[in-house]
Amino acid sequence: MKRIIYSCPYVPAEWIAAHGLQPSRIIPDPAASSAVRRPADCRKTGAGASPIGPVEGLCPYVRAFLNEAINDKRACGVVVTTVCDQMRRGFDVLTRQCNIASFLMNVPRTWQTFAAQKLYLDELGRLSLFLVRLGGNSPTPDALAEVMLQYDAARRSIRASRAYLSARQYAEAIAALGQEGPAQGRKSEMGRGVPLAIIGGPLTRGDFDIFDIVEQSGGKIVLDATETGERGMCGPFDRRRLHEDPLTELANAYFGGIQDASRRPNSELYRWLGHELAARAVRGIIFRRYVWCDTWHAELQRLKEWTDLSVLDIDVAGDTDTERRRWQNRIRAFLETLT
Amino acid sequence: MRDIPRQTTLRQWDQRYEQMQKAGVAQPSYGGLLSRHIEDGDTRLLKLRYDNSAAALRLWNFLLTEEDRLREARDRGKKIVGTMKDLGTVPVMAYSLDNVVAFYPDGAWWTPCVMELNAGLLSIADSLGIDESFCPVRAMLGAFVTGSRFPIPELLICSVGATCDDFSAIAQRLDGLGYPILWWEIPHRRTPEPGEESVKLPGGFSAPRCQVEFVKAELQRVRKALEEFAGQHLSEEKLSAGIKKANQVRRLLADLRRLVFGARLCPMPALEMLVAEMLAIHFCSDRDEAIAVLKELLDEVRERIKEGTGLLRDDAARIFWVNPVADLQVMNLLEDCGGRICGTEYMFTHALDEIPENLPAMEALAQMALADPMVGSLADRASRICTEIRRFDAEAVVISRIPGASHCALEGQVIGEIVQAELDVPVLEIEVPSLTDSIAQALRTRLEALVEAVRERRKK
Ligand code: SF4
Ligand code: SF4
Repeated sequence: MKRIIYSCPYVPAEWIAAHGLQPSRIIPDPAASSAVRRPADCRKTGAGASPIGPVEGLCPYVRAFLNEAINDKRACGVVVTTVCDQMRRGFDVLTRQCNIASFLMNVPRTWQTFAAQKLYLDELGRLSLFLVRLGGNSPTPDALAEVMLQYDAARRSIRASRAYLSARQYAEAIAALGQEGPAQGRKSEMGRGVPLAIIGGPLTRGDFDIFDIVEQSGGKIVLDATETGERGMCGPFDRRRLHEDPLTELANAYFGGIQDASRRPNSELYRWLGHELAARAVRGIIFRRYVWCDTWHAELQRLKEWTDLSVLDIDVAGDTDTERRRWQNRIRAFLETLT
Repeated sequence: MRDIPRQTTLRQWDQRYEQMQKAGVAQPSYGGLLSRHIEDGDTRLLKLRYDNSAAALRLWNFLLTEEDRLREARDRGKKIVGTMKDLGTVPVMAYSLDNVVAFYPDGAWWTPCVMELNAGLLSIADSLGIDESFCPVRAMLGAFVTGSRFPIPELLICSVGATCDDFSAIAQRLDGLGYPILWWEIPHRRTPEPGEESVKLPGGFSAPRCQVEFVKAELQRVRKALEEFAGQHLSEEKLSAGIKKANQVRRLLADLRRLVFGARLCPMPALEMLVAEMLAIHFCSDRDEAIAVLKELLDEVRERIKEGTGLLRDDAARIFWVNPVADLQVMNLLEDCGGRICGTEYMFTHALDEIPENLPAMEALAQMALADPMVGSLADRASRICTEIRRFDAEAVVISRIPGASHCALEGQVIGEIVQAELDVPVLEIEVPSLTDSIAQALRTRLEALVEAVRERRKK
């Protein structure tokens, strides 16, 4: 099946899958992508092995994503969104560096108006045209509803398994759903420790170690509010609306349901966090952000002012090995203050 | 009282001002010694060099008295709206109302330079968690908290969507601090799909009809908010009149740019031209006076061209400049290095293009907002830059990076590649922080090398 790659949580996997294509929400690996060679089908714009090297001011995640997309030989298309300016500019680089079919989806930052919601829905229509051009089939409402039910069931099952999984397994289950689609029978193993939340943008592949580091230090992530975690997963569909008008329900669940720092205003993110932090009796927050990510960086101080919980700021430059050692020490010290 | 064109220091300007006074040269109400602004803390003025015309003096005094003007406007009962980010569209609407004054708090961008960090605005931003990884616009936060740089507007309107992350994040922080913001969406301008109705925008870009309609509806929301705020109906007639006035400013600037960038001998230095261009955005809080200031500047330029006088060497390298400089002194530096500005793209070319007067007002404004070079692709932006380079016959390009700016990480490379591929002119990318004193020598070396490269190419 032809594979469509993306990373933004506002791209509904169901919509791509309903077109008969395989949605794959990639979790880039900064270390691997900086070592890869430029593929033959990419236009050369300069010398060097890495398509995009470290650039002053560039979010390491954007860089990792672009390099992964440029070097992904199995993908037939890539979807990028306008949720972040760096990604939007990254799209311009992608289209120049590489011949992979690419689509820039306008995801409004405002969300309270009908016009913004309609724009999102219209963009799904435009995405459909792109997918059809790549060999997909425009789905009937029934076909879409069926795919939505599969994904909905998978998400319910993942959510239900949270209490039985280690934090890492839970995060990996969410990531695997994005990457490979609905699957059955994930193994379960529960951890214990001081309940923590992790909040921030998306994780890269090596970053999943952070869950182990927390557990080894006596904590457990009970709320994964990263973009690749629970926060980036849309809520359950309304079954009645799903059958009446599946596309609108899909848009409502994604655009209306996923809370992000980039929204204007982003008050709903705090409302969501307030609810989840309390419901899970969280005792401390790990705030994980990329250097040069303005969107999340600007929230750090606000979060500290907003919450009574202790907040540990971890800034990530993309060098996972060196950073892991730094995280370990800081997380251990953080947990000591909480116990 | 005209003089041979040259650049002067602040102190020399003061002496010349005294002479002008003695000669009975009339000054506007905001006129006076330029050096008095030093007392307000604008110490960078001491290090700049200025054009010696009365027109330039008026321009500088007009710029540096904006805060007083805003406070006076409030005292006279006018309502103050802070327009943010869109650079040029919402002020046209606001100034169509007779009891509203609009300005861009974004202008605090230059405060760290003008006040040489003395205002402490950046430390306040730091304390609010907005550190130097953000662009200098973070000074705006400090300006709000201290209330020292401008009167706090009663209404804040900010565009968001296809904008930089810096401003969006900082404005959200401001909103979180208790300064509520009306957000309106400007979508990324995209290429129309096959078969989709397309609209040719002012300035030459295209957008699908549905995007124009979307922006029109968003601006309609803004219009309603302005009406409620002003307690006045913002009729089509008022908007059309507002557009005509804005176009007066834009036409003056177009003439100024055409004459200055095209002249054999440079008739007006880069720094004054930068300030003049800024007037297009919100008229420096007085639309009629902005027109008068630009007219005088244009008359001066015309006279100089007629007389065959000007500044700088007549073989100065013709440089096209991309992005505004956070340190104004760099405009002087370029000229010291043997260059002159022949074409600019300071991220608001849409505010320089005339707004169509033959369209319904909201349609025209929506088209204008979508014509913003920053809301489209880098390829679009680069293509317009190429057109302007050709138009002004520029021989090299400087892309000046803004520290921390979300768009600067990747844009220089893409724009540079496109310009080089299309025009084969040298491109230099430099970073210009708010104060360049510590890197002045390195900047000088790089700019001199660029000028040298231009001279070498002329020999071929
Ligand atoms: S982490 Fe921040 S800068 Fe990086 S892609 Fe996400 S929102 Fe953009
Ligand atoms: S300089 Fe760039 S990053 Fe800063 S506010 Fe302006 S557009 Fe945004």
